[in-house]
Amino acid sequence: MKVIEVKNVIRTYKTGEIEVRALRGVDLEIEKGEFTAIAGPSGSGKSTLLNIVGGLDTPTEGEVSLGGKLINTMSGSELSSFRRDHVGFIFQSYNLIPVLTVEENIEFVMLLQGVDKATRKKKVAEILEEVGLSGSEERLPSQLSGGQQQRVAVARAIVSTPDIILADEPTANLDSKTGSALLDMMRKLNETKGVTFVFSTHDKMIMERAKRLVRLKDGMIDSDERR
Amino acid sequence: MLLKMAWRNIFRNKRRSFIAAAAISLGLTALIFVDALQEGMIINMVKSATSSFMGESQIHNEGFTNALEVERTIKDPDGIMKGLSKEPLIKDFAPRIKTLGMITSPGNVQSLMLMGIDPQKEKALSKMDEAMIKGEYLEDSDERGVIIGSRLAEILEVEVGDRLVITVAQANTGEMSQEMMRLKGIFKLGIREMDRGIAFIPITRAAKMLGLEGQIHEIAVNFKDHKKSWDKNLPIWKKYSKNGNVYKNWMKLMPEMEAMLSMTAFSKYMVGFILFLLVAGVIVNTLFMSIYERMFEFGVMRAIGVKPFKMGLLVVFESGVLAFSATVIGIITSLGLSGIFSHVGIDYTGTEFVSVSITELIYPVMTIEQYTSFPIALVVFTMIVGIYPAIHAAKIQPADAMKKGTK
Repeated sequence: MKVIEVKNVIRTYKTGEIEVRALRGVDLEIEKGEFTAIAGPSGSGKSTLLNIVGGLDTPTEGEVSLGGKLINTMSGSELSSFRRDHVGFIFQSYNLIPVLTVEENIEFVMLLQGVDKATRKKKVAEILEEVGLSGSEERLPSQLSGGQQQRVAVARAIVSTPDIILADEPTANLDSKTGSALLDMMRKLNETKGVTFVFSTHDKMIMERAKRLVRLKDGMIDSDERR
Repeated sequence: MLLKMAWRNIFRNKRRSFIAAAAISLGLTALIFVDALQEGMIINMVKSATSSFMGESQIHNEGFTNALEVERTIKDPDGIMKGLSKEPLIKDFAPRIKTLGMITSPGNVQSLMLMGIDPQKEKALSKMDEAMIKGEYLEDSDERGVIIGSRLAEILEVEVGDRLVITVAQANTGEMSQEMMRLKGIFKLGIREMDRGIAFIPITRAAKMLGLEGQIHEIAVNFKDHKKSWDKNLPIWKKYSKNGNVYKNWMKLMPEMEAMLSMTAFSKYMVGFILFLLVAGVIVNTLFMSIYERMFEFGVMRAIGVKPFKMGLLVVFESGVLAFSATVIGIITSLGLSGIFSHVGIDYTGTEFVSVSITELIYPVMTIEQYTSFPIALVVFTMIVGIYPAIHAAKIQPADAMKKGTK
């Protein structure tokens, strides 16, 4: 079952007089349950592609469907609702809202979805158990290590069971041991719960563990390898 | 949750929030204190003007105050005074005869306003007896006693006990009438016109001099509750404004004072307007700095599904929380400042404003409005001002915000 369908996506940016083509006609399909890494050198367009897939950015040309819905024609408000209900995000750093506790950060999306308090509390407890952070409910992000913060970000991304998790360089700010542990945890979630992950990365560790590796070069897909 | 976040967000950059809150609370304190001071000043000036001699209201023959024509006496004065004595709102009243004349001493001559008064009734209504600095106040039995102001005594070069000649024009005939009087006392009210231009004699003597036995020109009236004299719609004004008489409160007797009240109200709104403009500047600047600082975070929030409206609402809440906190501080400091000065008073004595001399300390007056309307208006205004940066926050595109936030 296709979760993502990208058809001939072109994205150009204008910086003053200069026009930069970040994506030059990308076609990509992601199936449910995949653990895909989009790799490539800096400026290859991987973050742009991830942003377009997640509805954070709109393509200049082409179509993007997520869960069978065309998202590149949605309004800002529709996209917000769509992201809230269907997409989970993990960024490189500063993922969490600093003034909210771990518990509040995780339940934030559920609160936006209108989930009742009892369900929220139950799910937060379960997910914290799963990411190994039980007992950290009342801690603020500033009281957590980088690895722990990324675990909370993963917990927040998966707690509302979205169709797909988009992770932009999630291990970039972590040491290799912490990064590896985080990756193990995400891989486990992928295998046990069937959560679909798409990474934008140039971390070899992610590329090695990904079930599928898509390489971008100069805004175009250079290779697509399934393992 | 948004309100909770707004509350916590304003404590993230404590120094900036403190400076913004301090500016707002200082502005509010200034506004409240200036208003309290103005209120106190107005009350002081009205009391100074009315309590020293004028009274809170006066009854005259219609047209008398225009040219002080001696013949224009009050119609049915006994009936009116009988009525006033039965009025539940009225505390005291005093009949007067009022005319222009000349006063002569061995050393000088001076034009003046001659007032015939009922010494006992006047004692209850005005502060003439308290203003005596030399000699004594008039008694009913003082057939030939006269009291004058300190400045007039200097001009005439007279002391208590000296003889003075008063000259007036009689009613109807216009014949000159002169009386030799003896200076019984010298007063000092601190009101320039009164201290240099008025002489008081018993009303019976004045009536004889003018040929106005049984007639009077003015009845000064004080209310039990001073505030009643401010009420233009009181039925009593109409009740005694008939048969050729008019009954006016101090506002109509001193139109310059009423104009000053309007001017004071206008200046209050101007001070408020300037304060609110300053607050607007502080709030917009603080919120924009805060938004630009948290650009990546705003991008993340938008990415995980916070809708534009709620992003804007968060910023409006932040402005509201900041204003609310500052307002609480402002109210506390205002209570302290106004509270202290409303007890110790501020010394403006000797200052003259719209022909009224300030003779007592000014005590700032604390009103409910100062601690409700002003703070509520400030918080609401601040939240409205917060809409501008809120619109900016609502328009943030997640991808752009995260790019800017990482730069």
